[in-house]
Order: sequence, then C-alpha cells, then structure tokens
Amino acid sequence: MSLNQIERAQGLRVRSTQDLAGGLFMIALALGAFVFTWDLPSGTLRQLGPGMLPKAFAVICAGLGAMLALASLRYNGEKLSGWSWKGIFFALGGALLFALTIRGFEFGPIRVPALGLLVSGPLLIFFSGLAADDRRIKELLIFAVAMSTACILLFKYALSLPIPLAPWLLGI
Amino acid sequence: MDMLANLSLGFSVALTLKNIGLCFVGCLVGTLIGVLPGVGPIATISILLPITFGLDPTGALIMLAGIYYGAQYGGSTTAILVNIPGEATSVVTTLDGHQMAKQGRAGVALGTAAIGSFFAGCVATVIIAALGAPLTRLALLFGPAEYFSLMVMGLCFAVVLARGSILKAFCMIMLGLLFSTVGTDLETGQERLTFGIPSLSDGIDFSVLAMGVFGFAEVLRNLEAPEARDVVKNKIGRLLPGWDDIKQSIKPVLRGTAIGGILGILPGNGAVLGPFASYTMEKKLAKDPSRFGKGAIEGVAGPESANNAGAQTAFIPLLTLGIPPNAVMALMVGAMTIHGIIPGPQVMTRNPDLFWGMIASMWLGNLMLLVINLPLVGMWVKLLQVPYRLMFPAILIFCCIGIYSVNNQPLDVAFTALFGLFGYLLIKLGFEPAPLLLGFVLGKLMEEKLRQALIISRGSFFTFVERPISAGLLLVAVAVLAIALLPSMSKKRDEVFTE
Repeated sequence: MSLNQIERAQGLRVRSTQDLAGGLFMIALALGAFVFTWDLPSGTLRQLGPGMLPKAFAVICAGLGAMLALASLRYNGEKLSGWSWKGIFFALGGALLFALTIRGFEFGPIRVPALGLLVSGPLLIFFSGLAADDRRIKELLIFAVAMSTACILLFKYALSLPIPLAPWLLGI
Repeated sequence: MDMLANLSLGFSVALTLKNIGLCFVGCLVGTLIGVLPGVGPIATISILLPITFGLDPTGALIMLAGIYYGAQYGGSTTAILVNIPGEATSVVTTLDGHQMAKQGRAGVALGTAAIGSFFAGCVATVIIAALGAPLTRLALLFGPAEYFSLMVMGLCFAVVLARGSILKAFCMIMLGLLFSTVGTDLETGQERLTFGIPSLSDGIDFSVLAMGVFGFAEVLRNLEAPEARDVVKNKIGRLLPGWDDIKQSIKPVLRGTAIGGILGILPGNGAVLGPFASYTMEKKLAKDPSRFGKGAIEGVAGPESANNAGAQTAFIPLLTLGIPPNAVMALMVGAMTIHGIIPGPQVMTRNPDLFWGMIASMWLGNLMLLVINLPLVGMWVKLLQVPYRLMFPAILIFCCIGIYSVNNQPLDVAFTALFGLFGYLLIKLGFEPAPLLLGFVLGKLMEEKLRQALIISRGSFFTFVERPISAGLLLVAVAVLAIALLPSMSKKRDEVFTE
C-alpha cells in the first residue's frame, strides 16, 4: 500500500452511515426539544424551574449525538439498510384502522361510525396480515375471523374489559 | 424468625385458590407468548399487561410475576429449540442448549433448565425474603441526594452492561430521560413538550411507549428479515435428566445460582451478566473445555440457573428501593403504578400482605413452571411452527386491544403506532431500545429527587459529594464508566457480548 493510500484511509470520511444518521437523529430530536422548551423558565439551582431538566437533557442528547456523528467519521461501522415500507404501511396502518373504527371518529367532513371489536378486530388482522411476503388471502380471512372471535371471548367475556363489541348491531 | 413469619403470611396470601389460579394462568400465557420466536420477555409482559387490569392489586401482581417467569422460561425454550434467544440473558443457552437439541437431547436440556431454574428460584426467594426487611430499613435512611446518586449509578451500570456500543446505549438512556420530562411539571403545573395535546399532559403513557417500541417495532423488524427458523426436527426425547446428567449438573446449578443471585441484586442491570459469568466459569472449571459449544449439559444447567436467580433477585432493588434495575423491572414498575402501587420501601410496611404474597408467589411461579411447562413441551414445539405471517397479526391485535383498554382511548392506539415507527427507526439506526425504557421510568423519580436534594442543600450541587453514601455511589458510577471505557476492557466487553 502506498503512503498516499494510507493517508486517505486515515482521513475523515463517512465510515458508518448508520452511526452518522443516528448522531444526526439525536441532534435533531434534541434541537426540537430545546426549541419547544425555550419559553419554560429554568429557575435557579435552589428552585429548579420546569424548563431546567428538559433543556439539560436536550443539551446532553445533542452532545452525545455530535459524538456519535463524529465517531462515524473515525470508526468503521454498519451501513444504513433499507426500510420495509410494506411493513410500516400495513402493520401500522392496521393499528390506525383499529384506532379509527373501534369507537368511531369524526374529523371535519369525515365520519366513521363506532364499529366495535366485531369489525375492527378482523379489519386489523386482515389489513396488517397483508404485510407478509408469503400471505395467503384465504387463510388470512379465516384467521382474521377465528382470532377475533377468540379475542372477543377472552377480553370481552373472560376478562370483561369494557371494549365496545358492536354498538351498531348489538348495542354493546 | 421474622422472615419465617413473613413468609408464612405471604404463603397464606398466595395459596388461596384464586391466587394459585392466577399464578397458573400467568405462567401459562406468559410461556405461551414468550415462546414465540422474536418475542422477548419485555414484549411478552407489555402484551399481557392488559389481562391483569380487572384484578385486585395483589392478584394482579401475582399474575404478573407468573407472566414474568413464564416469559423468562419461554425465552429459554426458544433458545434451546429454535436457537433464537428471547433476550440477552438466554443468549448463552443457545450455545450448548441448541446443540443438545440437535443431538436429540432437547428434552433433557429443557428439563435440566427447568429443574436448575426451579432450584435457583427457591434459593432466590429465600434471599429476597431475608434481604427484604433489612434493605427496606436501609432504604428509609436514604435521602433524596442518595436516591439520586443511586439512580445515576444504576443508569451507569445499565449503559455499561447494554448490548452494543456504549455511546449508543448512553444516547438511549438520555433520550428516555428526555421523554420522561414530557407532561405537566409536578411543582409548577406548567405543561412541557405537550404540543397542546390533552392526552400528553399526564406525560407519555408508559404502556404506549413500551408496546410501541417493543411490540410494534419488533413486528416491523421481524417482517423485513426473511425468517430463518431452525426448529429442531429431532425428537424431544425424555424430559427428565438421567443420573449421569444430574451428577454433572449439580455443581454448575449451585455455582450458577450463587453467581446469578449476587449479580442480580446490583442496582444496574447485573442480572444480564449472570449467565455469561456462569458459562465462562463452567468452561474454565471443566476437565474438558472443548465439550462446550457442542452440547455440554453444564453449559445449560449453570447459565439457566444463573439466569433465573438473577431474574428473581433483580426484584430486590425494585421492591426495597423502588428503583428498577433493568427494562423488564421498569415494566413491572409501570404495571404496579397502573394498579396504584408505587414500588419502594413503603410497600412492605404499608401493604405487607401484598409484598409477602408476591414473594411467596414467586416461589409458586417457579413451581408452576416445573409442573406445567415440562408436560406441555410438545405444545410449545407446535406453537413454534406457526408461521410468522399469522403470528404477527395476532400480536398486533393483542397490543391494540391492550393499549385501548389502559385508558379506553382509541387515540392511544394511534400514538402506539407512532412509537412503533419511532422504535423501528431506532432499530434501523442501530440503537438498542431497552435502556430507553429504563431511562424513561427513572426520569420522573430522578427529577423529583434532584429537586428535593437541591432544595434541602439550598442550591448546592456539592450535597451529592458531601454526603458519604451518595459520594460512594457516584464514585462507583464513575469507576464503572471509566473501567468500561478503558480500551482493553471495551475489547473484552465486545468479546463477552459476541460470544
């Protein structure tokens, strides 16, 4: 290896995109927290105000983030890997559907009636189940119904949690 | 004698038909969920938290203890049968346990693990009963300054003992502390970082954070990786270890129990070290160390006992000082708070039947594991074969119903999804989220104690180094960090965690 190459290898360049992104992420979160607690009084050491600790923690977070980002220029580490958008869309989307339909929802012109666990349950299972690469629609449909029935029996009847079942149909 | 009287009080509480039943159900469902690959004890407990809501506090805690042991044992089962450790403490079990399973001795490995764990559990229960009262008395001597320093020390231990980079673990702890400041300030009533959202004014809900970051994010992580499940195809074989196996395991079990029990008491995450230490020790003491990694029964018996002893003595800092030593215990704090119990020295004095009942139920939980889990091994193996495409929708619906039931708030479910996204981001960025939960739970308490200490000392930070106990605790914290950051040690640490 020629001297030139060694020098280049020791120079600063991004050696771990994961750590760099992690560092920047910490700094961004810290900045956000710092900005939003700006108005809160810090108080004095004798009588700490509500703003003191959030600001102190935010400063430490930013410092750690900066260290992490700098370290990514110095030490080799892992690369960022791709996201699973399908997982995010279907799995988290399923949870959102559940949140929207379980007790109904009203936002401006959009109105969703309270559908209860009887509908929200199968909806969640079916929609989120689409995230799997090896999904089988028929199997998923049967599973959605079976699992929801089991959940209704377990949570509504065995544990008697106050969760709406089907207000539009049964009134409970 | 006090101890015996207390224990008998505990057993009189735990041995009612209802509480035995709750403990039994807890162990059963804890194992049921904990045995699913990719679902560790933290996720298991957060998923199952809602099923305890309808119970009285004592019953709920007894059930939670059962869930906890079930989840722990479920983790060991997957480690042995599928080679997937549920959490850091069962990593070591995969080394020899899975090899034994491949040789057709899965049953013996599971049996040894269960018997070793039961023995360790019995010893640890006695330790807790013996140390509970004196440590609680000690805790009452602690002022705010000592508490604050103790928590600083605990967090330092947690940073050092976390998996992966120390710097990243530090980031997670601080982020957890930052999250804990969200909500109404207790002294001035001012809202902090709530963005005008009413449900944030009480702070970020603990179960929302836990289930988002550990339940949802874990699902997203597992969805992206094509699954490689190495489920043992061989027969499970007989469960009870033979005479030779017992002879080989007795000493490792004894040593593992001692190591794990002692390390578990540390207010940092000491329990995680137990199995590693025990494995290393057995390997050093063995006549033929080359058998290790190829299905040596000592490599299952020792670490599993250490694991269970540590899992149980980790309750000591929680029950006596009110300070959770690791993420699972932080979860227990959350669970107790939901039931209106603030963990700490006052629990033992104010609710003795709850305190001792829970300790007695720990022993009961260990017994249950032995009695129900071994005969059900066949069922667990079947469960391991359920494809993930059906497993994760089931996990999701449990999480959603659970979150909804905490406050009957659909908005909480949406928040959980948001935290799931956040947790997935953390995973993508290489952060291990367990320290975040610990920081989050300790944050509020730390702020309170810091403020009190500074009021008492009239704004002088020197109070933390002037008071001898507090200074000693801080010294330990600094020493631990310094030792971990030494180049030679950080190399060793990497070795320990990659082994």
